Amino acid sequence: MVADDSPPVIPEVRLRDLRPGAGPVEVIGRIVSMERREVTRRSDGSRRPLVSGQLSDGTASVRFTWWDPPREGIERGTILRAAGVEVGEFRGRPELTFTWRTRIGPASPAELPKVDSEEMPMRTVSALHPSDEGFRLEVRVARITQRSVTVGEERRVVFDGLVGDRTGAIALSAWSDFALRAGETVRVAGGYVREFRGRPQLIVDERTTVARIAGGTLPEAAEILCAPSRSIADLEDAGGGEVVAIEGIVVGLLPPSGVVFRCPTCRRAVTSGICRVHGQVEGYADLRARIVLDDGTGSVTVSAGREATEVLWGVSLEQAKSRLREQPDPTLLEEELFETLLGRRLRVKGSATKDDFGVTVTPESIERGDVDLDAAADELGARLPSGG
Amino acid sequence: MALRETAWRVTARELESSLEEERGAGERAPTYLVSPFGARMSRVLVTGTLSPGEPIGRDEPTTFWRARLSDPTGAVAVTAGSFQPRAMAQLRSATASRPAIVVGRAHLYRGRDGVANVSVRAEGVRSVGETEERGVLADIVRHTLDRLDLLERLEKDPGVSEEALRAEGIPGSWIRAGREGLRRYPNVDRAAFRRELRSAVRRVAGDSGPQAPAPSPPSTVTRTRAPPARPASRPPTAAERAEESLFLDFVDEISEVSADGYADLKEVILRTTEQGLGSVRAEAALNRLEEEGVLEEPIVGKLRRT
Repeated sequence: MVADDSPPVIPEVRLRDLRPGAGPVEVIGRIVSMERREVTRRSDGSRRPLVSGQLSDGTASVRFTWWDPPREGIERGTILRAAGVEVGEFRGRPELTFTWRTRIGPASPAELPKVDSEEMPMRTVSALHPSDEGFRLEVRVARITQRSVTVGEERRVVFDGLVGDRTGAIALSAWSDFALRAGETVRVAGGYVREFRGRPQLIVDERTTVARIAGGTLPEAAEILCAPSRSIADLEDAGGGEVVAIEGIVVGLLPPSGVVFRCPTCRRAVTSGICRVHGQVEGYADLRARIVLDDGTGSVTVSAGREATEVLWGVSLEQAKSRLREQPDPTLLEEELFETLLGRRLRVKGSATKDDFGVTVTPESIERGDVDLDAAADELGARLPSGG
Repeated sequence: MALRETAWRVTARELESSLEEERGAGERAPTYLVSPFGARMSRVLVTGTLSPGEPIGRDEPTTFWRARLSDPTGAVAVTAGSFQPRAMAQLRSATASRPAIVVGRAHLYRGRDGVANVSVRAEGVRSVGETEERGVLADIVRHTLDRLDLLERLEKDPGVSEEALRAEGIPGSWIRAGREGLRRYPNVDRAAFRRELRSAVRRVAGDSGPQAPAPSPPSTVTRTRAPPARPASRPPTAAERAEESLFLDFVDEISEVSADGYADLKEVILRTTEQGLGSVRAEAALNRLEEEGVLEEPIVGKLRRT
């Protein structure tokens, strides 16, 4: 053995401490999300495979790009140790690149850095952004419900809810049972934030610790769930919200509305008998309405499900189906639904997300809006010049 | 922006008073009708008494209908063509005046005599009860007053920052519309317009007295742009004006859905012929519209608004 042959000592760093431009480093982390792609080389047109995604070690999560990865053995949840990793920068955040010089091997959960939750920085809800992790948070659980989902072959129970502090509210998704109850106040350490349907969502799982704490200054559950009515322009500026209330007038109806057919497996809308995921299926009929609600400052799409559509339309799914048998053109029913809804004043509560097409509200409740005409006339009259 | 255009709450009077257009930036951007009272409209929401519709053109089956919507402040034309089949059916089926809510696109048409005509191309029409009409009218008056208040602030303090106004909950689109209105209509009597809203408030309160006959040309607006000088020629007859209007409506309808944003001349002529407007008279209408600078034909056979 010659001393010169031994590899140079490369420090293992925590992802939180990565600095762009620092020489090759050694890191250990768990793949929390990944996708395989191929890029085409400009020089000769050949295809080069790569895996990119997020790597997390409990202190931070960082984007990584892995050139020419092995075909197998990499998936979400895999823990790896990588030495000789380049640290670059993308949009102001560090980013890792695994090249042919990088040595990568599997690692065990025990090798992940022990992160003492006491050293995690304390954060508030409004300061959380997608891909944040390694923080502590004190919140009240405003509501929590249980549902079961299929992950691959496996059925799992997930707890969905809403938590909040004085600065705001954020959706919660718990992948372990912390026996959370509405109204409880908790300190969450080691959760992470992801983006779900355009909104940040707090994920807690088996690596997260949840401790009951005294409520102190945290708002009551009812306060977190109570949404004062706001203007749609304001909602557009905010990019949506977990609990919102708006009032407006129906000015449009977007397709598909009325009777739609859904895939029996995944509930996606079926077009021409074909489900996007499950191919040819026998769709079942459902009612929906994608209502354009406008308050004069902006407009949102309210995505109403069957029950709300039945109430607003005054036509049940069964009635709509039987009319469809007599008159098989569904667009006529859609037009009738539009004419029933046009100009109606609605108060809508729910959660709102924003994308390139604007804000979409998933309603929890839709109510008729009423106007006190006498009060309105008094209020408006007082704003006009008198006499003359 | 892919975002939907907001439906501005406006009175018929505000529409009548709007004489300025602003072409949106970018490909296929809508044209906005800028009012003196702080609205910058593509889509509008109006309410009032809707008259029975009448067909434009002579032959059945007619594919273009027009009605008048009167509110306590004024009246505006509401049109619907075959691209809005349900709205057209609504205009067509009514045999008596009734309260209605209309959502549609505001259009400005300036004839060769320089007179501006605003119409609303209906996207949706629904007959409503009086209570619903009054409720929507209350919204319209409230928004109109809010916009007038905003205009006064912008005029007194032109340097006020958008952030400060938005922090008060004023939408950015309103601030932009207000600034544009002040720039384009520097001499408008807004106090008079505000007084005219009194009849609308009485209507909100339930005064169902006979709807005021549509007032004659808006007194609240001073036009600051002189109509272009043109050789003295005989004024167009009402029939010619109707033909020009029909021709323009088809140009708008066809160009709205065409891939390149132009209206194909052949298609327009085909449609006007269906309406009983022969190709000779249609060509004559086109010539007048081109002469007036309303339409242009930058590519042979392809029309667009100037």
